[in-house]
Amino acid sequence: MSGSPYALPAIIVVTVATIGIGAYGLRFSRTTSDFLVASRSISPGWNASAISGEYLSAASFLGVAGLVMKYGADMLWYPVGFAAGYLALLLFVAAPLRRSGAFTLPDFAEARLGSRTLRRWSVFFVVVIGWLYLLPQLQGAGLTLRTLTGAPYWVGAVVVGVVVTVNVANGGMRSITFVQAFQYWLKLTAIAIPAIFALIVWQSGGFADLSGAQSPTFDEQTEVRVDTAVTVVVAESLTLSADGNVDGGDIDGPATWGAGEHQIAAGTVLVFPDGAAVPHVSGLPALSGQTWATPLGSGGASPDHPIFATYSLILATFLGTMGLPHVLVRFYTNPDGRAARRTTLIVLALLGVFYLFPTLYGALGRLYTPQLLITGQTDAVVLLLPGAAIGGLLGQLLGALVAAGAFAAFLSTASGLLVSVSGVLSTDVMGRGTVRDFRRAATVAGVVPLVVAAQIDRLDVSQVVGLAFAVAASTFCPLLVLGIWWRGLTDIGALAGVLAGGALSLSAVLITVLGGELDGWPGVLLAQPAAWTVPVAFAVMVVVSRATASRVPPNIGRTMLLLHAPESLGLGRGTPD
Amino acid sequence: MTEQAERLTLTPEQYVEAQNSPEFTELRRRFRRFAFPMTVVFLSWYLLYVLLSTYASDFMSTEVFGNVNLGIVLGLLQFVSTFLITTLYVRHANKNTDPIADKIRDELEGGQNA
Repeated sequence: MSGSPYALPAIIVVTVATIGIGAYGLRFSRTTSDFLVASRSISPGWNASAISGEYLSAASFLGVAGLVMKYGADMLWYPVGFAAGYLALLLFVAAPLRRSGAFTLPDFAEARLGSRTLRRWSVFFVVVIGWLYLLPQLQGAGLTLRTLTGAPYWVGAVVVGVVVTVNVANGGMRSITFVQAFQYWLKLTAIAIPAIFALIVWQSGGFADLSGAQSPTFDEQTEVRVDTAVTVVVAESLTLSADGNVDGGDIDGPATWGAGEHQIAAGTVLVFPDGAAVPHVSGLPALSGQTWATPLGSGGASPDHPIFATYSLILATFLGTMGLPHVLVRFYTNPDGRAARRTTLIVLALLGVFYLFPTLYGALGRLYTPQLLITGQTDAVVLLLPGAAIGGLLGQLLGALVAAGAFAAFLSTASGLLVSVSGVLSTDVMGRGTVRDFRRAATVAGVVPLVVAAQIDRLDVSQVVGLAFAVAASTFCPLLVLGIWWRGLTDIGALAGVLAGGALSLSAVLITVLGGELDGWPGVLLAQPAAWTVPVAFAVMVVVSRATASRVPPNIGRTMLLLHAPESLGLGRGTPD
Repeated sequence: MTEQAERLTLTPEQYVEAQNSPEFTELRRRFRRFAFPMTVVFLSWYLLYVLLSTYASDFMSTEVFGNVNLGIVLGLLQFVSTFLITTLYVRHANKNTDPIADKIRDELEGGQNA
């Protein structure tokens, strides 16, 4: 498993270009307001590219393909939900929030309910969600560099972490808008062109069957190097040759594995013969093509309770998008409501087109890179498919292109998150929002997840992102929706709801991330918490607000008018068009 | 910033008046009449897909062409439907709510200048 010799130079070019464009944009950013919202002077086309560029993270670029390869068609829910979240955001939140004149979620909380305590807790959750979402970006970078160059896992994480921190601290948001827009088109090109070539290869091979009765097999003699110790399940006994340590004994030469589990130590090299069935990492069912291609055929990552897990995921992505700090702030960069709507439409088109490709990689990965199922590290399928399917110089060049796109994904999403987290930190925790405070905050905001990311390399990239969505959906979604649409919300009600949803969803996240796997209902409830934590947060918010109805802000009528009167009325603190 | 200069300043009475005006009520009604039913339609379509996948897996694994089955086609259609609903909303807002907003504005500005 190694990548193309051109991958490293390609990654360096992308990184340098990102820094270069950032430096170019620097000349435009002068005041703090420029830094945070780019002065609301960006056209819908640019803005939509920038939103998409920022949104298509490691989870979209690597993770979706990895999940599709592992679990099958059900995993389309991740991208569908990622896109649909924008619709929910547009319908219920985007326009009123812009009109409120609040730059950030904590600003909104304070303006709507006049509570400093609520504001502080909002800051806390913005930072937590931002960091949770930053982790998989750094993790993705670590995985990419390790897959392509054999560098230790922490190197990629450190490179992306440092580049992004320095860039954000120096450029702010205006420059980032250009960077993000550039990144979308780079990512689309990088994922589409190799996919098209891989499709041609698949076609010239007579469209090898993907949805038949067979489980994945090796279609040629394949050498696999196991980087981290793994337990695999063999369905039928098979003969192969191994060099290293298997089932606790050293081995160098041919071996026969009986059906059942086998432990393979790190550093072992296995050579599978042509036609052998691919052993799967323990816990990952070996799916026949037919089960794989049928939605919910396998029950996906939660085979015990697939409906609950899927509904929960839909809810988390649909409602969580509005609570992602780096997404919301982008809507301020539209000059008016009409432009904001147009922007959303373009974003959906851009995302829809993009997500076709990871799906394709996941599917073709089962044919061309089935060895990833041995280790379970299917997040690497996008990186390895071009070399495996196409081969030769062209395969290597396309592999380098994909690697560049992956790095673009980590850099752009991490930048957007870092801008939001440091914006909030600089105004609320570490100063009064001056440019200098912003720079200091960016440094802190970048270093913390870097330290954590260096520790975890076990989780699926998309899984961690899904958990960030669940926390956002359980905290900011009820706050925004009820805050905008319900007069009866009180400061205490909002605080109680945010804390209840936040505490429950965060506990679920921590148990999933740190505690390993649980079976049955407890496992599903913790791995996909949104379906119960979101209703709990809404219910607590409503009940406690009812109980404290005397605390409804006295100027609520005015606030509601401010939120709901269209921009063109020019009322209040929003920008008239 | 120029925002400040262009901003309309209203007295509390004018706020109340604007808020109670039939146009503003109509505006919110038109928004709700569109947004809430649409959300229900669109969530039901998602949830239906999940139910179909679970209880009608034979139906979903019907091959449409080559390796592509009905489940995958419907899955990809979720993207298309999300996009369609958004298009409908954008058209609705441009056609049905923006003109009223402009009208309210004209009346308020007329009132202020008089």
